[in-house]
Amino acid sequence: MTGIDIRNVTKRFDLDGRSLTALEGIDLSVPEGSFAALIGPSGCGKSTLLRLIADVFAPSEGAIAVGGRPPREARLSHEIGFVFQAATLLPWRTVRENVALPAEIAGVTPRRSAEALIDLVGLHGFENAKPAQLSGGMQQRVAIARALMLEPKVLLMDEPFGALDEITRQRMNVELLRIWRESGTTAVLVTHTISEAVFMADRVHVLSANPGRVTGVVDVDLPRPRDFGLMKTSRFNALENAVRQLLFDEEENGAAKARAHG
Amino acid sequence: MAEARRSWIAEAWPPALTLAALVAALEAAVAAGMTPVTIPAPSAVAAEFADSWGDLLYHLGPSVAATALGFLISASLAALLAGIGAAWRKASGPVMTFGILIDSTPLIAVAPILIVFVGGGMTLHVIVAATACFFPLLVGMSRGFRAVERNADELFHVLAASRWQRLVKLALPSALPYLFSGFKIAAPLAVLGTLIAEWMGAERGVGIMMIYAMFSFDVPQVWMTILAVCLMAIGGYGLFALIERAYLRRTGMEAAPT
Repeated sequence: MTGIDIRNVTKRFDLDGRSLTALEGIDLSVPEGSFAALIGPSGCGKSTLLRLIADVFAPSEGAIAVGGRPPREARLSHEIGFVFQAATLLPWRTVRENVALPAEIAGVTPRRSAEALIDLVGLHGFENAKPAQLSGGMQQRVAIARALMLEPKVLLMDEPFGALDEITRQRMNVELLRIWRESGTTAVLVTHTISEAVFMADRVHVLSANPGRVTGVVDVDLPRPRDFGLMKTSRFNALENAVRQLLFDEEENGAAKARAHG
Repeated sequence: MAEARRSWIAEAWPPALTLAALVAALEAAVAAGMTPVTIPAPSAVAAEFADSWGDLLYHLGPSVAATALGFLISASLAALLAGIGAAWRKASGPVMTFGILIDSTPLIAVAPILIVFVGGGMTLHVIVAATACFFPLLVGMSRGFRAVERNADELFHVLAASRWQRLVKLALPSALPYLFSGFKIAAPLAVLGTLIAEWMGAERGVGIMMIYAMFSFDVPQVWMTILAVCLMAIGGYGLFALIERAYLRRTGMEAAPT
């Protein structure tokens, strides 16, 4: 069991002595081997939630289990792969050295070589290149290969393609789905693009801001493997609209509330 | 390759020609008796180099040693203090204040007082050299130790890296470009510190050679020692500039802003 279970999690930050509630009463579960998307307006705490799962922060209240264990244990046994919005490659290392970094730190000989992972993300021939020589999309592929180095049971991605152009982003999404299927990992994707969330996920969790709450869940019953053709179907559009509804209803309610109070 | 060499020559000849023209003009001015007695002909300084390079090397040795040792001690202390400042945020303010205090100490006034405590030998030269170059080293290292990106820091956390792995695989490589720019500024200052200290008293050293030459009104020798000190300072800067360039080229990184 390496699903993710989040039970009644609240996260508060102290900002200059003031307490700020980033997330409140989050209940969410991601079944083993499935693909979940977290979507919401900026400031809804979706990145914070991802970092709670990765044990970068600890929740103020509630509990998180990764494969039935506390996130800290999962992290220390190298079960978590994390992809940031920026590729976050070490500029002094080659592509191969960047991909191999997790194995080097864990002190293990990986079952799958760095070269095989570089092939998997389609960067064959760039093993000895430096990050500065790669385009943004290629850098992000390196970051994904690195996240997969230790065959993590959980792959967490924080708007991994947010900085890429629309065309590159769609291509990367298709590739990411292929890589995810091959690796069999449980995946959580943070995004602010509705079509991306629907296209990628088995289940889309919609969050609202101030404080971050889960306002709804959309189950995506589209067949896999998925391709671009799927985006033209009415089922895809209906699911997109369902997510949109959850996102903007909440926003309108918030605005109405603000008007009433103002 | 050939093109690189050609562009190097293209870049080098205008300043070289300018320098040669200035030297020739000075030579002519001295020959025409247009200069005060304190300005020697370049040829006289060159002759002085040819005559007494043995003496110069004899004095240069301890100066270089004091400079290098002072630099090393200063760099170690700066690394320690910058490390404390980076690890413990409350300390970073006092650390910088200490650096500014050291930097604003008038060395030329303090050195004679130091003689009372440590005498006028090598110890004094090393201490003054270390003091003179401390501040840029401290600033370079403080900035360097803070150069780790937040995401990279989180990455190493998620990878469950040990403190040692973080230091060796992340903090030091991130800091190096900043350290280089600190080293480049500090090296000539350490040379200046040694010179000031040697003026106060030394058995051997370029500084004391300079003082003797001044007292005996040996104008070409004074200028020879001045040029020697300049070469030491440029050498120190150049050494770190070369290491920096080689490192940045090898890693494909960019120089830190100074």
